[in-house]
Formats: sequence, structure tokens, C-alpha cells
Amino acid sequence: MTIAEKEQEIIREFSLYDDWLDKYNLLVEMGKSLPLIDPQYMTDQYLISGCQSKVWLHARMEEGKVFYAADSDAIITKGIVSLLIRVFSGETPDTILESDVAFIDKIGLKEHLSPNRSNGLVSMIKQMRLYALAFKTKAAAQEKESSETKPEIPLETLVIDALKTVFDPEIPINIYDLGLIYDLRIDPVTHDVYVLMTLTTPNCPVAEDIPGQVETAVRSIEGIGQVRVELTFEPPWDKDRLSEAALLELGLL
Amino acid sequence: MGILFPIDRVRSEFPILHQQIYKRPLVYFDNAASTQKPVQVIDAIRKYYEVDNCNIHRGVHYLSVKATEAYEEARKEIREFINARNTHEIIFTKGTTESLNLVAASFGKRYISEGDEVITTIMEHHSNFVPWQQVCLEKGARLRIVGIDEKGALNPEELEGMINERTRLITLTHVSNVLGTINPVEEIIRMAHEHNVPVLIDGAQGISHLPVDVQAMDCDFYCFSGHKMYGPMGIGVLYGKEKYLEEMPPYQMGGEMIRDVYTDHTTFNDLPFKFEAGTPNVEGVAGLRAAVYYLKDLGMNAIAAYEKQLLDYATAMLAEIRGVKFFGTAASKASLISFLIGNVHPYDTGMIIDKMGIAVRTGHHCAMPLMDSLHIPGTVRASFSFYNTIEEIDLLATAIRKAKEILE
Repeated sequence: MTIAEKEQEIIREFSLYDDWLDKYNLLVEMGKSLPLIDPQYMTDQYLISGCQSKVWLHARMEEGKVFYAADSDAIITKGIVSLLIRVFSGETPDTILESDVAFIDKIGLKEHLSPNRSNGLVSMIKQMRLYALAFKTKAAAQEKESSETKPEIPLETLVIDALKTVFDPEIPINIYDLGLIYDLRIDPVTHDVYVLMTLTTPNCPVAEDIPGQVETAVRSIEGIGQVRVELTFEPPWDKDRLSEAALLELGLL
Repeated sequence: MGILFPIDRVRSEFPILHQQIYKRPLVYFDNAASTQKPVQVIDAIRKYYEVDNCNIHRGVHYLSVKATEAYEEARKEIREFINARNTHEIIFTKGTTESLNLVAASFGKRYISEGDEVITTIMEHHSNFVPWQQVCLEKGARLRIVGIDEKGALNPEELEGMINERTRLITLTHVSNVLGTINPVEEIIRMAHEHNVPVLIDGAQGISHLPVDVQAMDCDFYCFSGHKMYGPMGIGVLYGKEKYLEEMPPYQMGGEMIRDVYTDHTTFNDLPFKFEAGTPNVEGVAGLRAAVYYLKDLGMNAIAAYEKQLLDYATAMLAEIRGVKFFGTAASKASLISFLIGNVHPYDTGMIIDKMGIAVRTGHHCAMPLMDSLHIPGTVRASFSFYNTIEEIDLLATAIRKAKEILE
């Protein structure tokens, strides 16, 4: 079923009820069939900001398609997010990014679910799109990596490609294109690598994870020497450091 | 129930109440957030723009003089309404938030230094919490926080135990916007003054429900907003005792608050103008004055008595619904009820109640420290005004039952 067909199906289901109370009952029922998020992801990192109730959202990519799971502490919010997941889950990142989510307006709940900060509908859709965008970017990077023949590639390119597999948790762009790498030095003889990097914010909850991820990624390159990753917040990161590729991805170019 | 209150007349004077939402008559129970305005207030604002509009304190021409007079007359009315000693102790601000920020900044600058202490309570609205927290962080001072008991009441003895020679100010709310608790402010102020500690009262929720006499209360500061007392938004009042206002430095710089400006220094105007930089909200003052007339005409004691009937009735009706849990059951309470239905999220309950045509507030009510201390994400709050009726409370009870049926 395409996204459009799924939207039509939902619109049909809601059209059976005239009274808003019945529509809410339906929404509450739908909330019960929500693909629940694995409890390990019910942390602040996966919390969507901008909702009066709490919403946790996680996504995984399987054979080119995105599958979402979520939970909320409010029942109506659960119903809303389950509608979105029903429409988006199992679709490719491109389809998700192209969809306009028009069905919300058409199920007779427009004034109830209108984008306002208390129900966080907009934040939920935004977060789901961000996941799609992140998966798309990651897939493209992997494809690029595998299509190139390794022996002819200079070591520096390999290291940069490895850096590009690490993603900022808040922005679906790799750390290299984000401009988080301040210095990269490779010893031509020993192949030791030194990376000086920053994070988008010093308060980043996964601050401790990223340097470790970078180290692991670089170390996975064949024939690499010692790897040392150093973190700095001087100077602080700002948007001017985004590469052209990143700007393009964010739609800023 | 012997209602002597002129409820029909009062309701007819609030145009906004006579409308349908979602095909049902509007029931407005979000009065703690903002009250509706009577025609008298709306007319005063209209008349101001139709007849008197002009910048004040600046011109010699007819309109300017007239507008200035009206503005300064309003200040006298406010002084009388809260029984302040001096008219120049009434400072017009944007609202309670600005009043509180003004005191936090200016009082803080003048009186608070490293190692000093400010005492507040866990039930404060963010606007009487964050400014003090920030001043204390900036100065290296300590913010001490008094807790509440299971009914949502303060323990004045706990508060007294926190007072020491480093205490510079006690700042607390007159009435809790979440729990409804009316704090024993007179007792606390008497106690504080025995230790020579001044007391600020956040009157945002007190001014519309209770008679306020700042001299009898003997508070050193009292802050309130126009829009929570049937007046316009964007206008509020800071009452402060002359001796503090005189010593405190100006809060904002600009026109009106100066006496003489030289290229290298400035001398400042007298009270109250020292704290009223820039063109003031003259329209708001005109509306606030009309609101004060309105409340005086009804009588604050009559309002308090009628609202007590509403509160008692609502408390009894909601207590009959199984699973409804109240937050704030102090003996002395203003007319609002905070509650939850079992484990249902307040947002869910609020959504359903709203669709029944009833405006209630859900969430943390700008009191996150209090919500944390109660270990809840928020509450549903129904806050009543003197234009609400027993019949409307019946509708609320029905709506809560409906929400319970759908959500539980």
C-alpha cells in the first residue's frame, strides 16, 4: 500500500464517525496498536521536545525501508503517533520525505490536532522526517564507499570516509560535513592518526560516545596505526562550519 | 444555596461568555491564567482611543494634559484599592512578571551580595522563582526553598527556621496558582519583620479573589497583573514601600525616568517615574482603572463569598467521581481545583474536557519545581471566577465522567 492509499484508508475509517467523541475513541483504540519502542530507547535522547506529553520515537532501517516505534505517556498522543507510524513505517526514506501528511486535515480532527505546541504533532512529523533523512544520507555514504576501489585511495580519503560514517545524534549529518573535525593529521610512515574535533554543543548528551565512535571508525581502516581523538570546544562550533554537502542536505543551498 | 450575588447581571456584562464552541455553550474555567473582561473595561479602552489618546507627561496641549490626568488618577485609584500609604508607591509595569523581575534586578543589585540568602517556596510560579534563582546564581547567594505538607500548605515554622542574619528577602505567593492554597502571609510577614527581613508577595492570584490591604498586611512589595483581575493584558502593578523603592536603583533606562541627562552622567526622576521608563501603557491603565471600579462595585468580600460557594460545590461534585485525586486541599483555599483522574495524563483529560466546551488548563502551570516535588507531569486545573455558575460546575463533572469513560 502506498502512503496515499494508507492515508485514504485512515480518512475512510474516521469518516464512519460524525461525533468527535467517537473519533477520539477510535484514536485511543489506534493508540493501543502502536508498535511500542524498545524500553532501552525510552531515554531523553529519544524524547521529542515540544509536546506537553512525553513522546519517545526510534527508527531502524531494514532493506531500504524505515520502521518506526514509539511510546507516549498520554493516550491521545499515542493515537496520534500511531497514525503517523502507520502511514510512514515500511516506506523508503525518499517517499517519507516527499509525503505532505495531508490526511490529518481530512479526518475531521484538524482543529483538534492542529499544529500547536501542546500536542507536538509538528515535532513528531519533523523527527520522523529527520530519521528518514539520516538513513538516506547514511545509505548514500555507504554506497559511495563500496563503489570505490580501495588500493588506489589515499589514506586520508579513507579516514575522511570513516569519519563520515559517524553521525551527530541531533542533526542527521555526518560529523565531517558538519565541520566538527578541526584537525586531521596522518603520519605518512607509521599511519598514526590524530583527530582534533568538537561537538555541536558542550551539553550534548552523547558527548562521551562520539569520540569513541570516531576512534572505532578510523581504527577499522586496514593498515592504520595508532588512533588518537581529542575533544575541544575552542573555538565553539557554529553553522558556518557546515560543508556544502551538509548545507545541501539540510536544504540550505 | 442562598446566592445573593447578582450573577445574572454580572454574566450579562461579560460579552465573551455568550458564545458557543464546538456547538456547546462556552464554559470558561481558566480564570487563573487570565480572566475575561466586562464591557466596562472594554468601553474604557475604546473611550481612551476615541477621546483621550495622547502621550502623557510630555505635552502642554489639552489632550496631553487630559491623558496625563487620567493616568495619574488611575494610580490614585490603585493606591486606594490596595490601601497603599502613598500614591508614588504604585509603579505601573507590564504585569506581575515584570514587577517581580524589577524587584529581583534592582533589589538584588542594591541589597544582595555573595553569601546572602533569599527564601522562597516550592509552590512559586516560575516568574517568582527563576528571577531569584538567577540573581542568587549571579551574586553567589543562596536560594532557600520552603516545602509544603500533603495538603499543599506551607509550614510557617519551617520558614522561620530558615531565617538567619544573611537572609535578605522572603518572596512568596499570596495564592498558589496550582494548589489554590492561600498562604498565611500576615503571619509570615510579622515573623520576618521580627528578624528585620522584608517580604515580597506575588499577588497575581490573590488580587482577584481576596481583599488586599498592603498596609494591614505590611508586605514590603506586592505585585499583580491587570489581566488576571478583569483588566487588560500588558499592564500590571508593583507596590513597594517607599524606603525600598527610594534606595533601589532604576531598572530600565529611557525617557520619563530621568531628571537631567549630561554627556557623562544622568540624574534620575522621583518615584514612581524612576521605575517607569519609556511611554507607558496608558490604554492598559485606563482599562485597569475600569476593572478596579468594577471590582470595588461588586465588593471583594462578596466576590470571595460567592467564589467560596463555587469552590465548595465543585470540590464536593468532583470528590464523588471515583479516581479523581485533588492536588491542594489546604483549609484556606482560593477558587481553583487541580486534579488528575487516576493515572490518566492531564493532557488527555484536558483534550476531552475541551471538546465538551469547557476551558481548563493542563500541564505544569509554570511551576515545574512543584510538579517535580509532587512527582506528577502536571495537573488539570479548573479555576473559577465570580461569573461562573453552579450549573457550569455540573457540566464540568459530566465532562470529567466522560473523559474517564474514554480514557480509563
